[in-house]
Amino acid sequence: MSDVTAPENARRWRWAGWILGIVVVAGLPQLLSPLDTEQVTRWIPLAVAAIGLNLLVGYNGQISVGHGALFGLGAYACGIWVDRTDGGFLVGVLVAMVVAFAAGIVIGLPALRVRGIALALLTIAVGALFPDIVLQLESITGGTSGLFMQESVVNRRGATVTRALRWEAPGWTGLSPDEWRFYVFGAIALLCLAVVAALIRSRTGRALVAVRDNEIAAEVNGIAVDRVKLITFGISGALAGIGGALFAMIDFSLTPDAFRLPLSLNLLVIVVIGGSGTTLGPIAGAVGYGIFQDVIAEKVLPSNAGLWTPLVLGLGLVLAMQTAPGGTVGSIAHLVEQRRTKRAQRAAAGPAPSS
Amino acid sequence: MRQHRTGRLLAVLLTAALVAAGCGSDDDKSGGNDNDRTNGGDTSAAFIDPAQDCAEGWDGTTGVEGDTIRLGTISPKTGAITATIYDLVTQGMKAKFDYVNSQGGVKAGDGKTYKIELEEGDDSYDASKTPQVARDLVENKKIFAMVGEIGTETSLAVRGYMNEQCVPSIALGTGSPEWGKNEASPWYIGVLPSYATEAVAFLEYYKTVKPDAKIAILYQNDDFGTSYLNAMKKWIDDTGSEMSVVAEEPFDIKSGQNPESAITSLAASKADLLYVGISGSSCAQSLTFIPASWTPDRYLGITCSVKTALSFGGDAVEGVYTSQATLDPSSPTDQQNPKVQEYFTQGKAAGLTDDQLQDGIHAAGWGFASILLQALEETPKVTRDALMNTIWQMDVGAIGLLRDGQKLITDDAKDPWLIEGLRIVQRKGNDWTEAHPLTDYNGKSNEYAGNA
Repeated sequence: MSDVTAPENARRWRWAGWILGIVVVAGLPQLLSPLDTEQVTRWIPLAVAAIGLNLLVGYNGQISVGHGALFGLGAYACGIWVDRTDGGFLVGVLVAMVVAFAAGIVIGLPALRVRGIALALLTIAVGALFPDIVLQLESITGGTSGLFMQESVVNRRGATVTRALRWEAPGWTGLSPDEWRFYVFGAIALLCLAVVAALIRSRTGRALVAVRDNEIAAEVNGIAVDRVKLITFGISGALAGIGGALFAMIDFSLTPDAFRLPLSLNLLVIVVIGGSGTTLGPIAGAVGYGIFQDVIAEKVLPSNAGLWTPLVLGLGLVLAMQTAPGGTVGSIAHLVEQRRTKRAQRAAAGPAPSS
Repeated sequence: MRQHRTGRLLAVLLTAALVAAGCGSDDDKSGGNDNDRTNGGDTSAAFIDPAQDCAEGWDGTTGVEGDTIRLGTISPKTGAITATIYDLVTQGMKAKFDYVNSQGGVKAGDGKTYKIELEEGDDSYDASKTPQVARDLVENKKIFAMVGEIGTETSLAVRGYMNEQCVPSIALGTGSPEWGKNEASPWYIGVLPSYATEAVAFLEYYKTVKPDAKIAILYQNDDFGTSYLNAMKKWIDDTGSEMSVVAEEPFDIKSGQNPESAITSLAASKADLLYVGISGSSCAQSLTFIPASWTPDRYLGITCSVKTALSFGGDAVEGVYTSQATLDPSSPTDQQNPKVQEYFTQGKAAGLTDDQLQDGIHAAGWGFASILLQALEETPKVTRDALMNTIWQMDVGAIGLLRDGQKLITDDAKDPWLIEGLRIVQRKGNDWTEAHPLTDYNGKSNEYAGNA
């Protein structure tokens, strides 16, 4: 019936997907108001962290309820770097990535010994402790008051004032700071997504999935299970760290409150509801979460509804796990697959009687 | 091999997308030109000249629609319970505006009568959240001006932004010495007396009680708390006083902890005076942790000298000192004052209950709103710059709930502090006794803070 082979077809779809992604990222700020652009920009760090968590939870079958800590670590690593050096924003992202990779490995070590609920509890502890560590290290983190990345500039009146750092687009782009920040964040997010997608299709990626599906079988097949698990934790942490770095550079101010335990849980909600073990799941999850939290709860529902959002998210998590383990993206893919099979069956069955 | 090519292609595509987007950015978005900038001030010598200070496309009448002026404010509605009591300031402002609206509106200096609308933002007293909230108010809700924003750190977090946007921030609910820097930030003016002035006013009095007092201070671990501590040390140095700060303990009101351990450490100093320089409900509560073995004189900062805040100290507030710039609607003595009685009548009409009228925090908001309304009545035009310039030329007596004898003078922007008169009082039962009458430190606040 079709003259292309299935893998070739899939590759075409993949490329179409990437191009569509780039078009969406490029076009969004042109369609949205500056303020809405900023709002969407705020979802990107979560999406990047979710891409990392998805690698761990969705593809490798481990669990982390403490990724908020790695996100926060990346945020503070980048924040301190940007605040104390002139090293540049993008280098800050790299610093965060390296620091969070190392931390991911460290958290991943006990994961070699424990799994399931025990690992969940262990990582919860990490997530819960993080804000307190920030408070303890007040001299470098700014404690509860927060870490403010500022610069001295001469204002229009000729007076020297300190103000928060900000993204300024290079002159040739003609972009507003909001647009520029969105594009930088969007490009980084797409890059992370592409790296993970490529990784999953690589040899390492297949090993990673094999470990999820059956550890013993993987081991028997010559996969170094421990090493795969550890590296996955590291890469997953690095991505959470990149997300954190982007988060730090939205307002260029950080307070430990932003990294309390609910953040870790929300990241998990994003991955599961979006579709764990799917490429686009984390993106769908982050956008859905953002729309729910920042648009529906903030602007549509009455003002005190915000208190109920954790409950709704929790219920969503349970429901998704019960009824749609593949999350949004997984379910859609499943539906598409079902229809395609049916059509194929009909095509195969259809002509027979009439002939 | 293929992986590599894919990566390179992707990089090229991303770059192309960036460039394409860059070219696609339409110029008409930035819109406007110099002529759009409305210069409301009539004199060229006005402190603020928007043609120089403000960006292209700025409009001095944003937020004024027909006969309605839209104002904004930010307070902690959620978050650490210790700070949320200050949301009552917002409710007090709202009541005042409701009352004025119910009377037809405010008659501005341009001869027209306007209704006031108040957009309320919530930043949970978290300075990392304030920028987003402020931006929403300015760019989305399109407010004309900000009024009575709560918090020092939170207001500092958006000072640069609000000044660049040329949106007035009037009667910030804080007394940080930072608000004295009006040359750099002309669109910002606080309403509480400078915390530095407050510390000096009390020490000026207390030296007559105990000239060689040893002082222990509990201070909030931020700009607010340290401004008390710094001003105190500066005053001791400058005057050559025999007083000394013998113990200091920082406290974090967002930690969710109470100040018990901090007070216990301070108690070891056996100081003559405990100066409580924190805010919120922990403020008066700290007095309850003073051990029986330590009986210092005690001073509570002005932000917690009102009924609601005092209630957290229970009986321990008996005999405590504080400063007052305004009338206290819970004080039986002040309740005899016609201004308080008028506030009760008007506040009731606006729907405030007896408890709300007397809690002191609604009253503070009521007072903040009064100052803004005063400026609106005086401004020759209802534009952002004209309003701000009016504030910088203010010279009126005790409006709103200010104590008699108080004067609001800004002296052509040379004196960035509106309220500089303080009297020292001591708690007795449910009232105050005057320890030292109202003294006006007009024009001195910047000097006390060392940022003159």
